[in-house]
Amino acid sequence: MNALFLQLLLTILFLSIVFLHITKKNFAVSVTYGVQSMAIVILMIHSFFVTGEASMLLIIGLIFTFKVIIAPIFLVKLIKRHKLTFSVSTYLNTPLTLIIIAILTAIAYSQSFAPLTNIIPDNKILLQIALSALFLSLFLIINRKGAISKIIGILALENSIVAFAIFAGLEQSSGLQIGIVFDIFIWFTIAAVFLTMIHKQFGSLDTAKMRHLKD
Amino acid sequence: MMIFVWLLQVVLTPIAAPLFIGIIKKIKAKFQNRCGANVFQPYKDLWKLMHKDEVVSKDASWIFRYTPYIIFAITIVAGASIPLFATYIKNTLTGDFLLVIYLLAGYTFFLALAGMDIGSGFGGFGSSREMTVAALAEGGLIFSLLTISLAGGSSNLFSLADQHMILKNQFFLPVLLAFCGFFIVLLAENSRFPFDNPSTHLELTMIHEAMILEYSGKRLALIEWAAANKLFVFAALGANVFFPLGIAQNDSVCAVIVGVLALLIKVTVFCVFIAVLESIIAKFRFFRLPDLLMVSFILSVIAIGVM
Repeated sequence: MNALFLQLLLTILFLSIVFLHITKKNFAVSVTYGVQSMAIVILMIHSFFVTGEASMLLIIGLIFTFKVIIAPIFLVKLIKRHKLTFSVSTYLNTPLTLIIIAILTAIAYSQSFAPLTNIIPDNKILLQIALSALFLSLFLIINRKGAISKIIGILALENSIVAFAIFAGLEQSSGLQIGIVFDIFIWFTIAAVFLTMIHKQFGSLDTAKMRHLKD
Repeated sequence: MMIFVWLLQVVLTPIAAPLFIGIIKKIKAKFQNRCGANVFQPYKDLWKLMHKDEVVSKDASWIFRYTPYIIFAITIVAGASIPLFATYIKNTLTGDFLLVIYLLAGYTFFLALAGMDIGSGFGGFGSSREMTVAALAEGGLIFSLLTISLAGGSSNLFSLADQHMILKNQFFLPVLLAFCGFFIVLLAENSRFPFDNPSTHLELTMIHEAMILEYSGKRLALIEWAAANKLFVFAALGANVFFPLGIAQNDSVCAVIVGVLALLIKVTVFCVFIAVLESIIAKFRFFRLPDLLMVSFILSVIAIGVM
């Protein structure tokens, strides 16, 4: 049952990224990121019970505060301030996007990536899901035209890497993990400031319209 | 005991189905700050319609007149062909998932024919829209059940429900993905949000209602009842093939009672979810529907791919 619960959490991660690919509303994008991050927090709580490291609690608290509460609220406020209810479109249309999602998932499950997914053979199924989530996040960053969606894509990629690292036994020391969370926080703050500046300058967050960056 | 169980299997769908329509309407009313009608109101509506006179156009052929009986019969057969509360009654005659899918496709086919039969503009465009949605939904429905079928190594729905695939480590993700695909099709096939608005008669939006505008009296009652049955069949299919928890696997009275209760609870959960969904989202434009049905199909394809 424990393995099924972990699979459920990873399925939430996977499906949330698929949803991020097809949703048209920025508000839904922000909320979905919050839900996805909550799944990661629960995964880390599970990891805490397995390892028993007390310092993990601090990291979990930090991740919960930043990824589940601050980041989505901040994005929603940004969306409301600039009236960005609807996200700009994708480079590929929905059917093509979905076909590529299917292909990327198949690649993650293929024998080509078996050396990666077999790092810990007991966690093979979990690593395969995390790897496909990783690929889909990368594709999200590439395919979306909206700056908010791209930021969420990067954050989703980071969530996928965390999930992969947990099951691949690649967890780092607490100091490094706190540093990474702090890094993401600073990165997110700078990205948000840039978003505001880009919107002021171009009147849109559609990255396809930013053709005169030298001005 | 076996005769009693089979009797229950056949009559449970028509008896229970209107109740779930009432539950959905009640929850939607609560969301709109209304008290809403009693959950048993659909039974009273059916009773009222059954006692009303009907008007049939002189242009109507046998298709229009017999369609309500045909589709009602189809839903009864479909209801008896799926695992409702017990898996030990192996229905090898009509329990194949492809047969159930094509029975339900037959339902859509006759309803669309009836919509066009009397030659009204509303019926024509309703049928056209219904067939468009049905054609696109078919792939998602077949592939979602095919996922379970491939995982279980059988095409009999009773055998598949008996295997509790969701509890197997290697099939957990495929079953969940296939279920997501199935749920989108459930909404499309039953004319629920975001595909159709079941409570509107606005020509720009209606699909199902447009096809049955010319019906009245007993025939309308049968069509409404058949629509309720279809929703129940889909919900029961989703509840018992994908999440067969609580389903009776032996012929003890206790197991059967638990199976019936588990089914009612699971279908109620589905209805609550549908009602909440219908209260918080808007109906999609018709030209966005293929995208959503494509999502259903691709999710099922991914489910097969990751097995």
